Amino acid sequence: MTLLISLLSGALVYAVSVMYAGIGETFSERAGVMNLGVEGVMLMGAVSGYITAVHTQNLPLSFLVVLLTGAVLGLLFAFLTVTLQSDQTVCGMAMLIFGTGLSGFLGKDVAGVAANLKFEIIKIPGLCRIPILGKVLFEQNLLVYAMYIIVPLSVFYIYRTRYGLKLRALGENPAVLDAAGDNVFAMRYGYVVFGSMMMAVSGACVSLANTNFWASGMTAGKGWIAFALVAFSSWNPLMLTCGALLFGFISCLGSNLQIYLPQIPTEVFSMLPYIATIAVFILSTGNFRRKHTAEPAALMKPYDRESR
Amino acid sequence: MLRTLIMSVVFVFLALVFCGFIIASVGFNPIEVYGKMITKVFFSGKGIRKMVEASLPLMFCALGVALTFKMNLNNIGAEGQYAMGVIGGGAFVLFGPQIEGPAGMVITALCCFLGGAVWALVPALTKAYWDVNESITTLLLNYIALMILSYLCLGPWKKPGQNVGQTERIPRGLELPEIGNTGINVGLIFGILVAVLIYLAYRCTTDGYQLSVIRSSKNAARYAGINIRRNIIFVMLLSGGLAGLGGFVQYSAVTHRIMEGMPNNAGYTAIVIAYLSRLNPLVVIIVSILFAGLQNSSATVQVLGVPTQIATMIQGTIMLFVIASEFFQKYKLVRVKEVEE
Amino acid sequence: MKKKLLSVLVTTAMAAALLAGCGGSSESESSEASGETKDVKDLVIGEIHYSVVEDGGWAQGMHEGIVTACENLGIDTETNLLTMEEIAEEDTALVESTVEELVDNGADIIFGCSAGYATILAELQEEYPDVIFAQQGNDVYDNIVEFQIRGYEGDFLTGYLCALMNEGSDELGFCASMDEASVRTAVNSFALGAKYANPNAKVQVVWADSWYDLDIESQNAKTLIDKGIKYMGMEASSPAVPQTCEENGAFCIGYNVDMEASAPGAVLTSFVWNWAPIFEDIMQKTADGTIEISANYYEGGECAALAPFNADLVPEEIQKQVEELKEKVLSGEVAIYGGELKNDKGEVLVEAGEVMSDEDILAQDFFVENVIGGKN
Repeated sequence: MTLLISLLSGALVYAVSVMYAGIGETFSERAGVMNLGVEGVMLMGAVSGYITAVHTQNLPLSFLVVLLTGAVLGLLFAFLTVTLQSDQTVCGMAMLIFGTGLSGFLGKDVAGVAANLKFEIIKIPGLCRIPILGKVLFEQNLLVYAMYIIVPLSVFYIYRTRYGLKLRALGENPAVLDAAGDNVFAMRYGYVVFGSMMMAVSGACVSLANTNFWASGMTAGKGWIAFALVAFSSWNPLMLTCGALLFGFISCLGSNLQIYLPQIPTEVFSMLPYIATIAVFILSTGNFRRKHTAEPAALMKPYDRESR
Repeated sequence: MLRTLIMSVVFVFLALVFCGFIIASVGFNPIEVYGKMITKVFFSGKGIRKMVEASLPLMFCALGVALTFKMNLNNIGAEGQYAMGVIGGGAFVLFGPQIEGPAGMVITALCCFLGGAVWALVPALTKAYWDVNESITTLLLNYIALMILSYLCLGPWKKPGQNVGQTERIPRGLELPEIGNTGINVGLIFGILVAVLIYLAYRCTTDGYQLSVIRSSKNAARYAGINIRRNIIFVMLLSGGLAGLGGFVQYSAVTHRIMEGMPNNAGYTAIVIAYLSRLNPLVVIIVSILFAGLQNSSATVQVLGVPTQIATMIQGTIMLFVIASEFFQKYKLVRVKEVEE
Repeated sequence: MKKKLLSVLVTTAMAAALLAGCGGSSESESSEASGETKDVKDLVIGEIHYSVVEDGGWAQGMHEGIVTACENLGIDTETNLLTMEEIAEEDTALVESTVEELVDNGADIIFGCSAGYATILAELQEEYPDVIFAQQGNDVYDNIVEFQIRGYEGDFLTGYLCALMNEGSDELGFCASMDEASVRTAVNSFALGAKYANPNAKVQVVWADSWYDLDIESQNAKTLIDKGIKYMGMEASSPAVPQTCEENGAFCIGYNVDMEASAPGAVLTSFVWNWAPIFEDIMQKTADGTIEISANYYEGGECAALAPFNADLVPEEIQKQVEELKEKVLSGEVAIYGGELKNDKGEVLVEAGEVMSDEDILAQDFFVENVIGGKN
């Protein structure tokens, strides 16, 4: 039983740390802009938050700085991809390289310095006594709790509101919105900035919640997983949750199976999350009968009023 | 074409000016830094040799990646295909019959090609038959390939006695030689040859024509009776194979051993190179060499005391500027068209 | 087109001018052959790292060792220490450029701070015979200085410490990164230390199969804690394991650098690499011209050190016991890899009364008897 609790709660903690970035990327891609630089933004978020934490010992302020960093990077990315209509793949890769370099440079002074300030685990009285689920769901940090609200909210936003409808149109056929008098550029700017802010929060999960330190390149590929999960989820935050939980659950399971199935080489368990994700991805998005893809049709296509 | 070139040069210059401010802000003289970069890396015999050496794997990966991009397929898996290519070649070199000389090299290259192609098989088939997003499958397969590579290098394939994840040296008879005494490896000619072949194939063969039709419109292609499925599989496998060849040149011409983390992000860098080259295989060769020079310049810059992260940022900035230059070119081009009408 | 030509001309001219300018100054520095004596303060040291030096792990330990050695010898680290970071071992061209730059800037000694540089540096030594190449690694090459620390001495003490602390239980844990000889050494000596304190002690290993992955490291620590293990050793470059332990009421040993500050409630002590004595010796001998390029350092004692104990967690009594054992190891009274030693399959590795050779210790391909979860 403790094993199950530990597996589920491990999966949840992992999932949340990629889901911020994943939901951010979802909004960004829904709006037609693919940001490949997730990892770079995450690192910038992680380092800016940690530096502030070390120097001010003020957690809310650190979080604010994380959001601000994300917003600035988002503006830069939006300027390049929306205004200058540059290729999104290269811009993303450039952001990745740029962010990795800059975060490493900025973080030089706080590498190895202990902040001892992070999002601590808060038990929710009452709820945390529910058997199994209580321990899994209600003994977590604030960033996890926030996610409980963000996921339904974003699903509601995308599928049930007028803005969500526009967002989806933005990624499918921006010309329609333009014709209806909406400002395509402003909307894309908004969603790219929002997405980038969420990615930065994912970075904060790494440096200020799950672990509490800074090291150059500490996200170690997490941004790419988040990126992969977005397409895995067919741009649906609910599916994204499932995907992230699945990935987290299997990697936690692998760690435990090392002990309980010692005859199988541990490398097999390490590959398992990737293999499982690929398998589920093929099965769930494979076009076996129907002819429909969830990918926003205008993804990676800059909007140009003149060539409408 | 010339206009593109000039614009790119202008924007690289602007990027350098911008980075100059960054360099100056951390307390160094940008003129001195750039001067050393230019003299040491781009305009010295040794620098050029190293630039070419470092560019070899990038070149092949980028050629492969560009092929898929040309068909609107996103192969982000060059990294993993490279790793599997190395594994394929290594399996032959370490355990196969001992054939040396040109014949052995060709077989090793073929094994590398096969290794890479096999790794692209699952994404290719699932994309062709079930329309599964290939960027995700290729990306995730990278992780698995790298794990297999590091397992082999640290485990069963490791050269005994040492404490690093490297295999035995490749037999001298399987090393790709230099061109004469220039210090430049035959791999470069090989790369240029492949690039020219791809270029000609696009220009002059029906297959190449079909690919460009598929890129512009899938429906038109279907209507014209082009077998899209066959083309997807063909291009993906070819692309994977080329990334595998990237592994081959690195193994046989540069490192001479298989190493734990051998691809070292070449597969991701290749994506950037392919885009910066606007998917033109001939331009890929030049851009890979320049990009390799940029990466090598990290050493030159650091020895002056400039932090490594600044060197990384310069790379990112130059990329951003070159990409941004596209915007201004596009607008110029549109205007010219209007005049013609 | 004309414009372009012009710009090329200008750059070339600029380049030529700079070349002439640089050439004059660097020549005088590099022409000095290092076979001759030289004031140690004038040595120029180059160091090559695969990551940044503030990595909170391996590279940081190396860098600090070099800096300490320089300071002890009066070498100015501002001007005479050239630090090259993020030089990937797999990127042969970059490593070559790095060495060339270091030599051009007058480096007398070049330290390869990660095992992966060995093959390239050994090849480059032939090109730059006047420069001393010092490389972390086993004694494989004859033309470069190689150095290694008997890390097992420190790991042995940490295993002993954990077993002493772990009263009432025989089960200890270990979070390992990749399956590699040096990691096996850390696991085995930890287990042997535990066994020395408690003959029934068993060490459960879990593997990350990655050199750096915070999520997996944390999860592995969690797995051990869930299994009821309270004390664990580790071989990883981040404080993820200590922080997970702190959160879940378990304890562990830091690795590479002193990790107490990152998790004051969990780190009992840390195993730290103390490279300074080795580096000092290499630098001094290079200055004196007495260094042998085939030299090999394999040092224990103060090099395989422990960080100060966490006084809040480790009782003084136990601190004293560990110190005593340390003396015994130093004096040779306790041979860590002494017989009778069995592997995890029950086969005898070292007969009673004999001691394992250094080569076998360096290239460990076994797990000792009381390790559970070792690889094949």
